[in-house]
Amino acid sequence: MDITLTLAAMKVVGYGLAAIGPGAGIGIATYGLCVSAARQPEMKGQLMGYFFIGAAMSEALALLGLVLFFIA
Amino acid sequence: MGQAIGDALGQFVEHAQGLYDTFLSATVFSIGSWDVSQYTIWMFIGLILVVLLILGVSRNLQLVPKNKFYNTVEFGYTFVKHSIGEDVIGAGFQKHVPFLATLFFFIVCCNILGLIPGFKTATGTISVTWALSLVSFVYFNYYGLKTLGLGGYIKSLVPSGVPGPMIPVVWFLEFISMVIRLLTLAVRLYGNMLSGHMILAVFSLATTVFFQYAFFQMDFVTGAVGIVWFILLIAMYALETLVAFLQAYVFTILSSSYIGLAIHPH
Repeated sequence: MDITLTLAAMKVVGYGLAAIGPGAGIGIATYGLCVSAARQPEMKGQLMGYFFIGAAMSEALALLGLVLFFIA
Repeated sequence: MGQAIGDALGQFVEHAQGLYDTFLSATVFSIGSWDVSQYTIWMFIGLILVVLLILGVSRNLQLVPKNKFYNTVEFGYTFVKHSIGEDVIGAGFQKHVPFLATLFFFIVCCNILGLIPGFKTATGTISVTWALSLVSFVYFNYYGLKTLGLGGYIKSLVPSGVPGPMIPVVWFLEFISMVIRLLTLAVRLYGNMLSGHMILAVFSLATTVFFQYAFFQMDFVTGAVGIVWFILLIAMYALETLVAFLQAYVFTILSSSYIGLAIHPH
């Protein structure tokens, strides 16, 4: 059985690798939001703002991977 | 039995090859040198819809709206004003509410339009989301420059309390992170919308192929698998309805937090 690694296949693998870190990062951010909102529900509105900034920064890496998938 | 499902899957894979091409923008007609694609048309339809919606609802404002539809639209506006504007921007948020509400309603209308079968979502193409994110980028930079002045705005990128030698490094990183907002705002909306609609297209294609196969070959197992595809399609459709609102919310809340960061230095 011969395996051929085409450029398209490599791009898909690269995007998969790029999505690992942001996945873990957004998970940790959500965990933090849930825990702190459970402890102090009145802070939830303010915490949501911080959560979205953090999640957006973390997600930026996955999105860069998606852009590279299209342009590479 | 396994043969039948395999055949149906083979037909499905054959049909799915050309699926991505149907999402590319194609020129419908040209006005002079301006090529109008189908996404441009849907963008203008979304635009007209937003204008009609807001003008229609704001024409007869009541203290206690009886009409449920009016109530929903007013709830959307209040949501943008308080949950997005007041909570995220803080002091001086009133000036930015019209901009944020326009962004929110336009993106919601475009996303929801795309969920109707046969319609296209204007936000599912990179050009429209790129334009939206450029508008947002120029807006928050303009207000940052206007509030803090050129020198103050450049200095405000670095958080206070950073030790002296680290200031250039931190400034450089923050500057890159600010410029990259332009890219991520556009690609987030585009990626979510395109992938969502592609998933819907894949599941509906699979349902069609399996049902057709079951009908013409009188094969009940393939029909049962087709029903499973159909249930998955409905679940995905529900998820996409959620994502349509969620992405509009995320775009608006990120724009407002960027405005907040620009006008209130940290």
